[in-house]
Amino acid sequence: MAATLLAVMVGAYGAGAAAALLGGGHPAGRALSTAGAVAGAGAGLLLGSQVLAGGPVWTFAAPDVVGLAGGILLRLDALGAFFLVLVGMVAAPAALYGVGYSTQYAGRYSLRGLGAALNLFLLATSLVPLADNVVTFLLAWEGMSLASYFLVLTDHDEPETVGAGNWYLGMTQVGLAFLLAAFLGLGAAAPSLDFADLRVAAAGSTGAARGAVFALALVGFGSKAGLIPLHVWLPRAHPAAPSHVSALMSGVMIKLGVYGLLRVGLDLLGGGPPWWGVLLIVLGAGSAVLGVLYALMEDDIKRLLAYSSVENVGMIILGVGAGFLFQALAMPGPAALALAAALYHTLNHAAFKGLLFLAAGSVLHATGTRNMNRHGGLIRRLPWTGPCFLLGAVAIAGLPPLNGFFSEWLLFQSLLPGIGVSSPVVAVLMVLALGMLALTAGLAASAFAKAFGITFLALPRSAGAAEAHESPLSMRVGMVGLAAACVGLALGALPVLATTGAVAAGLLGPSAEPPTFALGLSFRTPAGLARMSPAAVIVGLVGGVALTWLVVRALASRRPLRFADTWGCGRVGQSPRMEYTATAYAEPLRRVFSAVYRPTEDVTVDHHPESRYFVQSIAYRASILPWFERYLYEPLLAWVARGGRRALALQSGSVHAYLAYVVGALVILLGVLMVTGAP
Amino acid sequence: MLLFAKMLRVGLVSVPIGPPAPGEEDVVHLVREVDAESRRLFGRALAIREVDAGSCNGCEIEIAGLTGPVYDSERFGIHFVASPRHADLLLVTGPVTRNMEVPLRKTYEATPAPKLVVAVGDCARTCGVFQGSYAVVGSVDRVVPVDVFVDGCPPEPAQILRGILTALRRPLRA
Repeated sequence: MAATLLAVMVGAYGAGAAAALLGGGHPAGRALSTAGAVAGAGAGLLLGSQVLAGGPVWTFAAPDVVGLAGGILLRLDALGAFFLVLVGMVAAPAALYGVGYSTQYAGRYSLRGLGAALNLFLLATSLVPLADNVVTFLLAWEGMSLASYFLVLTDHDEPETVGAGNWYLGMTQVGLAFLLAAFLGLGAAAPSLDFADLRVAAAGSTGAARGAVFALALVGFGSKAGLIPLHVWLPRAHPAAPSHVSALMSGVMIKLGVYGLLRVGLDLLGGGPPWWGVLLIVLGAGSAVLGVLYALMEDDIKRLLAYSSVENVGMIILGVGAGFLFQALAMPGPAALALAAALYHTLNHAAFKGLLFLAAGSVLHATGTRNMNRHGGLIRRLPWTGPCFLLGAVAIAGLPPLNGFFSEWLLFQSLLPGIGVSSPVVAVLMVLALGMLALTAGLAASAFAKAFGITFLALPRSAGAAEAHESPLSMRVGMVGLAAACVGLALGALPVLATTGAVAAGLLGPSAEPPTFALGLSFRTPAGLARMSPAAVIVGLVGGVALTWLVVRALASRRPLRFADTWGCGRVGQSPRMEYTATAYAEPLRRVFSAVYRPTEDVTVDHHPESRYFVQSIAYRASILPWFERYLYEPLLAWVARGGRRALALQSGSVHAYLAYVVGALVILLGVLMVTGAP
Repeated sequence: MLLFAKMLRVGLVSVPIGPPAPGEEDVVHLVREVDAESRRLFGRALAIREVDAGSCNGCEIEIAGLTGPVYDSERFGIHFVASPRHADLLLVTGPVTRNMEVPLRKTYEATPAPKLVVAVGDCARTCGVFQGSYAVVGSVDRVVPVDVFVDGCPPEPAQILRGILTALRRPLRA
C-alpha cells in the first residue's frame, strides 16, 4: 500500500512535469500538469497520514541508482510523515491556485517551464523528509533549492527578480556547503552514509565533533529556514516569486529547515549539551522579535508576509530550542511538550502563511501592485479574498478562536517549566524568552491589523484598487481550501496535538512519553504544565461578543440613532488621500523602536515659483537602517569581490604560466608524498 | 541623559495650589462651579472644542487666557480637545464667514449629543464691524443652535466661564 502511494506520488509529479513540458502552453497540458501536482500532493498526504496514524515505518531501497554514493534509500518514520503531510496540505491548494494565477504570465513567460519546475519542486520537497541516506537527502534538497530558484525567476524581465534570485541562490548554496561539511563530519567515522550508520557513529563520537556538526547543520538549515541573520533572501525572493510559489516556499520549504534541524540534531546526533538549546532559543527569540519588527515597517504586502515568516520560524525554533534544552537537562516531559507545540505551530504556520500569500497574490492579481499604500477598500471588491485574508490574519496574529492562538499559547506555556530549573542562566534565559515571545505576539497582531486594515478597508487609493475584480474560481478554491485547513487545525487541535506529541516523543528516544492532552476539550498535561481549554476560550469569546452586542443594542434603543460623516476636520469632500497609509500606521512604532530601526526621513516641498504659500508637490521618503545588509553582508561581499580580483592575477592567459602552475602543483604533491612516506 | 541630569539639578518647580490669591477668589469659585455642574451633567470633566468661525482672534486670546497660569482651567478639569468627537461643548467665536459655514455645521454634526454651544464675543451675536460684509454669512445662531451668547469685544476669561456655567445650567436640548 505504502509503496503504491509512493509510486503514485512520484509518478503523478513526474507526469505533471512531463505534461507541462510537452503541452504547457495549451490549456489541456496545463490542466494535466496541475492534476499531476494535486494527485501527487494527495498521495503524499495519504502516505504521511498512514504512517502518522500508526502505520509501520516504511523503507524503500534502490541501491543501484547512484550506487557509487550509496544508492537511493527512502524511509518514512513519524517525523518524516509529519512533514510529508505538511507538504501535501499546502501543495494541493497552491497548485490549484496556480491555474488561475499563472494565466497572467501567458505570452510573456514560459508556462511550460513554470509548470514543470513546480512539479519537480514539489517532488523534491516531498522526497526530502523521506530520504534515509546522505546522498538521497542532498539530491532532494538540492533539487528543491534549484527548482525553487527557477520558480523565483519566473518574472525574469524585472531586474528586481534577478537580484532576488541571486540572493536566494547564494544563500541556499552557502547553506548547502555547510550541510555537506556537516554530513561529511558526521560520516567520517561511519561505515556508510546511511542515516542508521550515522546514528551509531554519532553516538560514539566526541562532544566537540558533535558540537561542530550541530553548528554546521544549524547554519545550513538555518539559511533555509530563514533564521536571522541568514534571513536576507526571504524578503527578496518571496515578493519576486509568483504568489503560489511564495506560499509553497514560505509555508513548506522553509519548514524543511526545521525538519533538517530536528533530523540531524535530535535523531542523528541524539541531542546534545545545554548550549545547543540555549543557542537555538537565542536565535529563535531574536528572529521572532526582529522579524516582526521589520514586518511592521513594510509597505509591500508580500515583503511583510516574508518578514512575518522570519518571525514565525523564530517562534518555532524557540520551541525546538526549548525541546533541546529540556532534553539536555533530563526533563523529557517538558521537552516533548515544547517540541509538540513547535511542530503544531509549524503545521499551523504552513496553513495560514500559505493562505495569506495566496490572498496577497489575489490582491496583486486584482490591483497590479504589492504596495499597500496603493490598495484600500478591497473588501467590497474582493468578497472572497478579503474574508480569506482576514481569517489568515486573525490566525497568524494568534487571536482566538483560530489555530495560531492555540499553538502560540501552548508554545508559551511549554517554556514555563524552564523558569523552575536550578541553573540561574537557564531560568533567566527562559524568562527573557517568554517576554520576547509575548512581545512578538503583540507586535504580530499590530502588523496584521495593518496588513488587513490598510489593504482592505476604507476607500481605494489608486485606480487599480478602485477597478479591482475578484480572482477566477481556481484561485478562490485554493484560498478557501487553506482557510478550511486553518479552521480544521483549530477545531481538531486535540487529535493534531496527540499526533505531534507522538512525533516529538519518538524524536526524544524510546523512553520518552508523549505528552497527553486530556479529552474534554482541554489541554492538560499530567504534570500540570500546560493548561488551556479551547472550548472555554471559544465560549468566552463568543459569549463576550454576544454580550457586548446586547449591551450596545440595549443602550442604543434608549437614545436616538444619528448618522454623521467621518470627522475630516470639517473639510468639504473627503478623499482617499486623507486615509491612514501603511507608512503612517507604522510611524508610532518606528519612533518607539527607533534604536533598532535608526529611521531616516526626507521631506522635499516644492513651492510655487511666485509664492511660498502655494505648495506644488511634497515628496516624503522614510527608510530604516538595514543592519544585516549594511554591517554583515556588504563587508562580506566586498571582501569576496576583493579576493576574487586578487585571484584574477593568476589567470594571466599565458600558456607558460599555466604549465608552471601544473609543474608547481606536481612538485608540491611529490614533496608531500616524500615527507609523509605514503605509497 | 541630559534630561535626567536636568531633572536632578532643577527639581520640582511647580507649586501646589494654595488658597486663592486676593482678587482670584471669584474665579476659583467660578471654575469650581463649572466643574461641579459638568460632573452633574456628564458625569465627568468638561471637554471643549473651540471653533473660530471667522473671528479677529481677539476672543481667541481671551480663551487662551483661560488655560494660562492665572485661570489655569485645566486643573479643574475644563480642557480643550482636538476633535469635536471628544467634545461636550463648542465654543464658537467670530461672525460666521462663508468659508467657515460648512465646517461649523459639520463640526456641530460631528459632536456627540448631548452637546452645548456657547457663542463668544459680540461678533458671534451681531457680526460686529464685519456686519454686511460680502464674506460673512451672519451670526452663529444662523448656522447652528446656540445655547448662550457671551457679550464683549472681547469678553474676559471670567465672563466666558460664566457663559459656560449658564449653558451648563440650562435644561438640555433633546
